[in-house]
Amino acid sequence: MPLNLPTFPSSKTIDRRKDGRWKNFHFSSQHGIIDIMRLRASQLTKDFGHRTIVKDATLSVQPGEVVTIFGPNGAGKTTLIKILATLLKPTSGKLEIEGADAIADYSDVRRMLGVVIHENLAYPAFSPYENLKFFGQMYGIKQLEHRATTLLTEVGLQRFLHEPLRIFSRGMTQRFMIAKALLHAPSVLLLDEPFSGLDAAARQFVRDRIARERQKGTGIVITTHNTELGYLAGTRFLFMIDGELEEIAQKNEIKAETLLRMYEKRLTHNAPKGL
Amino acid sequence: MKAFRQIGALIRKDLGLQFRSKETLVLIFVFSVLVVLIFAFAFGPIFPEKVERGKLTASVLWAAFVFAGIISLNRSFTLERSHGAIDGIRLTGVDASNLYLSKVVSNLVFLFLLEIVITPIALQFLDLLDVVTMGILLKLFGVLSVGTLGFCAVGVLLAGMSTSANGGESLLSVILLPLVIPIIMGGAKCTVSLLVTGGLEGGFWLRLLAAYSLIFLAAAYLLADAVIEE
Repeated sequence: MPLNLPTFPSSKTIDRRKDGRWKNFHFSSQHGIIDIMRLRASQLTKDFGHRTIVKDATLSVQPGEVVTIFGPNGAGKTTLIKILATLLKPTSGKLEIEGADAIADYSDVRRMLGVVIHENLAYPAFSPYENLKFFGQMYGIKQLEHRATTLLTEVGLQRFLHEPLRIFSRGMTQRFMIAKALLHAPSVLLLDEPFSGLDAAARQFVRDRIARERQKGTGIVITTHNTELGYLAGTRFLFMIDGELEEIAQKNEIKAETLLRMYEKRLTHNAPKGL
Repeated sequence: MKAFRQIGALIRKDLGLQFRSKETLVLIFVFSVLVVLIFAFAFGPIFPEKVERGKLTASVLWAAFVFAGIISLNRSFTLERSHGAIDGIRLTGVDASNLYLSKVVSNLVFLFLLEIVITPIALQFLDLLDVVTMGILLKLFGVLSVGTLGFCAVGVLLAGMSTSANGGESLLSVILLPLVIPIIMGGAKCTVSLLVTGGLEGGFWLRLLAAYSLIFLAAAYLLADAVIEE
């Protein structure tokens, strides 16, 4: 049975700057109002000791947009996602989620975010159903039992509702993570390496789910080092190499092969000397 | 209402996790029984006087509960951090102070259950069960619960900090014990007084215990956001 989750208005951008970056506001055809960007990050920097992991990262995500960030291991993608998820405080820079200051008012902003990262953000001793029930109570979701069961069925875990999470494979855990991220119908999804360690069927499932959320108007950020899957899932592409974000193109402006060649060229150019 | 709902859900989750695995429960129970037995067999027969036995029992009880409490606090936060569950909770938008309160209550309940089981065992092994009336025993549980509240108020805050650091489990003991000295002093003095005289002799130590516990609870509640978010 499909979930009756709230949807966001379909929207179209009314202007675009000459440098290819989108303006912060867009026109919502459904409500006839000016909406705010789902996410806007400006010059985010994160230092750990003397090392700068994320350097002046600027990024915006509109409703219904899937921004894919490609980068090799150690590029700073996970750190960036954790900053966008308000789990890490940036050393400097600004972050807005749905127009609210996500650094100062993180408590309110967090409820708008669905997050998938390497850790499962849940309790391995609990079953997926118990985990969703607990987190649903924290979010104050109505008709929680129905929603948890429906979501877990949708992600294909109906046979494992009451099995402890600790016995789950990587693919099953990823499915659970997606169900958990969607539990409260967030308007922004942050997915760190969502295809990592998944078989073909699970990868297809994740792609389908991303497409479905995109149609609802959710703003989505994906980080991956898999150019093929990242291209298929995304609508706009960025590279992140050595902590620096570089805006590349919209999907309709670039072919997958071209993107792959550009990515490989950047990696080669930035590879440590002597390797 | 939202805060109560969230605190309630967090406490149910904490107790559910602890009672499901029983790992911590067994660990702190066995540890406390061992402490009681070691003291009982080492010192038991040489104290014919009730006063001396009362002092020994108070020492044994507080030593057992303080170290069992450190184990419990460490385990409580290790469960949260090991798979990033604490980040999952943060993402629900819960106030860090509510998360702190829930941890204090769940650890308090957990340790108080231990005290209810271990105290009669200690009294029995140290030859005091016959002379302690039900009224004194209830007062003793009252003192223990106030002391445990203060211990948890300080301990949860410090465990929240230390478990995110390398070597956090041993770090907690080092930073917690100096701060709970007033609680251990007040609690032990009240316990001795109850076991020897059956009363609290002016109530100075009980007032100190209660005041210290409440002040630290309030201070830690206000500091929780900085500790958990940083």
